[in-house]
Amino acid sequence: MAEIMIAMKNLTKAYKSMGDEVQALRGVSLNIDKGESVAVMGQSGSGKSTLLSILGGLNPPTSGSVEVDGIDVYALSQEKRADFRREYLGFVFQQFQLIPYLTALENVMLPLTTIKKSNREKREIAGSVLCRVGLAGKMNRLPNQLSGGEQERVAIARAIVNEPPVLLADEPTGSLDTKTGDEIMALFQRLNQDGLTVLMVTHNPENTRYMSRTIIMKDGQLCTDKAELLQLVSAGKR
Amino acid sequence: MQLYHIALNNILRRKAKMLFVLLGLLIGVATIVSVYGVVEAMRAEMTRQVAKFGANIVITPDAGELTFSYGGITLPAVLFDVEQLTGEDVAAIENIPSREVIRAVAPKLLGLATAGGRHQGDADGQNVVVVGANLQQEFMVKPWLRLRSGEEMRSDEQKASESGTVPSGENAPAAEKEMDFAMLDLAREDLTRLVLSDEQILVGSSLAATLGVMEGDLLTLSGREFQVFAVLKDSGSAEDEQILLNLSAAQALLARPEQVTVIELAADYTLGSEGVLLSELQEALPNVEVTSLRQEALRRDEMITRLVRFGTSVSVLILFVGMLVVGLTMSGAVRERTREIGVFRAIGFRKSDVAKIILLEGFIISVLGGMLGYFVGMAVAYYAGPLLANMSIQVPWRLDLFGLSVLLAILIGLLACIVPARQAAKLDPAEALRFI
Repeated sequence: MAEIMIAMKNLTKAYKSMGDEVQALRGVSLNIDKGESVAVMGQSGSGKSTLLSILGGLNPPTSGSVEVDGIDVYALSQEKRADFRREYLGFVFQQFQLIPYLTALENVMLPLTTIKKSNREKREIAGSVLCRVGLAGKMNRLPNQLSGGEQERVAIARAIVNEPPVLLADEPTGSLDTKTGDEIMALFQRLNQDGLTVLMVTHNPENTRYMSRTIIMKDGQLCTDKAELLQLVSAGKR
Repeated sequence: MQLYHIALNNILRRKAKMLFVLLGLLIGVATIVSVYGVVEAMRAEMTRQVAKFGANIVITPDAGELTFSYGGITLPAVLFDVEQLTGEDVAAIENIPSREVIRAVAPKLLGLATAGGRHQGDADGQNVVVVGANLQQEFMVKPWLRLRSGEEMRSDEQKASESGTVPSGENAPAAEKEMDFAMLDLAREDLTRLVLSDEQILVGSSLAATLGVMEGDLLTLSGREFQVFAVLKDSGSAEDEQILLNLSAAQALLARPEQVTVIELAADYTLGSEGVLLSELQEALPNVEVTSLRQEALRRDEMITRLVRFGTSVSVLILFVGMLVVGLTMSGAVRERTREIGVFRAIGFRKSDVAKIILLEGFIISVLGGMLGYFVGMAVAYYAGPLLANMSIQVPWRLDLFGLSVLLAILIGLLACIVPARQAAKLDPAEALRFI
């Protein structure tokens, strides 16, 4: 039996928006095995990003619990949760979110900033990760000197430089053309094959081809209706 | 990659904004440095001027109502039956705790003698004021006193010879020809060479002309013969009409052994320490009058105090504005960097790490602001100081202020960055990354 990497139990999240209470998640329970790759799909406002942020230890749920590798994420203090994020999670954000005044290498070194290693070691680690994502010759370029695909690779390198067991990605191909998007998805697939557990929020049904499982969210809940899933995927293809 | 790399890179990226912050600190520090530099230079100049003024404390016998004036100082009428100062009083001054602030102790005995010139008929019977003093100390408390140089002496002699007022040549005593003229060109710093025997005197310029005596001449005072060691340069002061000689010689001449009429002191005190010195003197010499000639010092010190108050107020105000500029600009920069800070937090930076980045930025700019502020402030003080102080002052480049300027800038910069740093640390990463 596969080892469970992520266990979400009965997650709810409510927040106020313009005076009204919005129920972003309504009792989501989900287990993700170690080494699994999961695509989370759903329409805007379905709760995908909220789920990702809760799983990422950034957004405490109103109720329910999240365990990653057996650690109850929200039982940790805020500062311990920051350490947890650094050690267990890699984030790939929408629109890359690279720091514009740092080079590709420095961006990748960012998660290593607060750990006790010499600058040389940090450079070596970040350099090797950039090579792994195919950016060996562009380490000293600033983000605005890189193409969209290259920026995405830097963002992925930054997410995996600490060798976390879990990689979380929010719309990683949203701002890329199809060809570059496919290359990035292939990279995610390769990382997954190397043992990384991947959870990806995506609007693009094409991306599900690279993932071992796809879940659909609708109105803050997991949708288990296979017909609806097929419908969504085919809608994406059209 | 360390936190300071992030701080430094961000500063370099937001040059205009950071320049604004830098300017806020620079102006604050520069104002303080320039005000401090000018005030300190004014103080130094005043101390110099007060020192130049000479004596600033006068000790006289307690005379009650019986007084006369000597050089603007009220003295007891020496001929009356009042208690006189003595050598013991002078010795008592040497033993007070604040002795080190007293630059010179100049006791003197004043009296009248009857002068007879080289040619007895010329000045026979004329009463002259004789002042017995420790001449080296006397010259220290009266910085305006100068000996007539050899050249001046020869020129005066020439003029006198031409006009026929003073006989010269074969009538001049042999001693005149043996005078060491180099001895007469005494520099102020060379007072140790001013050593007279008890048979030698210094004569004031006006009195010398009246008596018709010159360097090397013999002059009879109350029946005793003295040699004129030198004539004093015209100074426009009371000394122009007096004869100076050793204290012991005057005491013998006036038949007042051990007596002293007045003791003048040149003390390098500030107004704060003046009270201590005066009370120590009064304690050591209970039956005398101790008078401080501090009016000038007081007036100037008051002016400086006012300037310090004004400068401090302006500096504090400017520093406060500078702090506000730094705080508001940094706070604005934090708001602009919301997403960036969200990324830092998401990838594992602790709140304290984020706060450290902001404080480090503040620190780096503060160090720079402090250094530049020092140079700008000193330059302003150096070039505009005399204008600001309305005095002829020299503002020295004070390196000790450099460290203080940097420390002050760091203090102000970090204080101003506390709020923005807290603001950054408290940012909700989920909100910053628009997850909610």
